[in-house]
Amino acid sequence: MTSISARRLGKELTEIKAEGCPVGINLVKADDFATWWFTIEVMGESLYQGEKYTLQFRFDSNYPISSPAVQFVVGDGKVSPVHPHVYSNGHICASILGNEWSPVLSVIAVCVTIQSMLASCKKKERPTDNDRYIRFAPDNPKKTRFHYDDDTV
Amino acid sequence: MKVKVKSWHAVAHWRWDTGAPEQDDPDGEGDVCGICRVPYEGCCPSCKMPGDDCPLIWGECTHVFHMHCLLKWIGTPASKQQCPMDRRTWVTAERKVGGAAPS
Repeated sequence: MTSISARRLGKELTEIKAEGCPVGINLVKADDFATWWFTIEVMGESLYQGEKYTLQFRFDSNYPISSPAVQFVVGDGKVSPVHPHVYSNGHICASILGNEWSPVLSVIAVCVTIQSMLASCKKKERPTDNDRYIRFAPDNPKKTRFHYDDDTV
Repeated sequence: MKVKVKSWHAVAHWRWDTGAPEQDDPDGEGDVCGICRVPYEGCCPSCKMPGDDCPLIWGECTHVFHMHCLLKWIGTPASKQQCPMDRRTWVTAERKVGGAAPS
């Protein structure tokens, strides 16, 4: 029996291939239903003009009941964007990836949210606790209990 | 020319009464469950047979899902017992078909 994640992700992938991604978002790889990569660019005027970042999704078999593990890919020439909610190891502090996840969200919806999070950034800086966080950060960002204390950036 | 019907087959088709107007279906796909993205008239990923074995559930917030999908979500602590659409506390609505109380 196919897992619920495979069925749902199969539908999302078919839709992406048929209709394409929103502007600035591109599918890099989705060879299985475990890990997908997208590139994210911010279109128009922003602090990230001309920069391209890689966003990784990891799914467990319970997706979309359980949220995907989403982070920027770091290493091999790829870096995470300098942003007050993005750690240098690629982990992202965003409520929809944590306590505000909903199973009606989708991979593309998450990409668009992350893209607009970058677009609205006023100052390129790391989270204040970056150094402390990355020293003890778990491999899977879902294991981190983030505090969502600032909705303005 | 005179046509004489010798035999005929009746074909019927059913759909859940979600309160949405019959004609409101531009893509011909029908409405889908927001959780599994399968049409209401299909079944949730855990079921094989659509219909009464895989019913829909209505919330007082008017949102509709496959019952099994919604219960799977509500059963997780992450759901905080909220509707996936509007994050209001999920309250299952008494189903009223066609505006009349079920008999």
